[in-house]
Amino acid sequence: MAFYRGQEGSVKFDDAGSTAAAITSTRSWSLTVEKESLDTTAMGDTYRANVGGLISGSGTVELLYTASSADETNAFIEMVNTANDAGAALFELYLYSTTKKITFDGVITSAEYSATVGEVQVITCSFVTNGTITMDV
Amino acid sequence: MAAINLNTVRSTIEGRLATELALSPAIPVIFHNQPYVSTPNSSWVQCLVNFGANEYLTLGGTTGSSNSVIGIIAINIFTPKGAGPGANLTIGKRIRDLYNRVTVSGVYFDPPIGPEVVASPAPEGFFQTQVRMTFETFEDL
Repeated sequence: MAFYRGQEGSVKFDDAGSTAAAITSTRSWSLTVEKESLDTTAMGDTYRANVGGLISGSGTVELLYTASSADETNAFIEMVNTANDAGAALFELYLYSTTKKITFDGVITSAEYSATVGEVQVITCSFVTNGTITMDV
Repeated sequence: MAAINLNTVRSTIEGRLATELALSPAIPVIFHNQPYVSTPNSSWVQCLVNFGANEYLTLGGTTGSSNSVIGIIAINIFTPKGAGPGANLTIGKRIRDLYNRVTVSGVYFDPPIGPEVVASPAPEGFFQTQVRMTFETFEDL
């Protein structure tokens, strides 16, 4: 049985939505995929019934500030400040290797920049998915 | 990028001290694993660099990833016994100012501790204090 450690994961991104490039200095990522449930219980039923509804995802990427420019890492941390965001940015979240990934288009909804004495500078970006979430995990 | 060269980091730390203490008034300085026979009623300094914790900074394997390398510097300051602390603290200030919140060649020095008086000097026959500080540098693989 194989297990994997967190450092084997990675994040790729493309603000133009075509070819994703690695986000450097990524410290962690997380994604929560949720499915709404629709109550289909009929009158007289003893047990509640549900069917699956709309699926959506949201999560965060935490990365270290490296003062990079003109690359996808820079685009990633500035994307929240983009007007008229069509939600076409491509996200690829890797669990392991270059194949085990979760792919989707999304919108970066927040970016928290911080500087604390004695610590490396960390930026935390939050996102929501837009449309299909493809899982190959 | 490459794995960290520990001797480059050590050289950065030790070289800074050696350069400062070569200035007038010059004070002998020795480092780890170096023989030294102290002269009674003299002043001298011992600098000990130790590498400690290494931690993950980013995701990734042996390429495209970064680690944090943390260490501690202990600098022992020896001055003549029975002559008060003034001379010792003067040297201590030179050393403290040399590293206090300074960044050199990618090595970040934290605020120093001390000079703290050492109750049992080693070797005996001197008044001894110690300045300590942690440092951090980053390894890009």
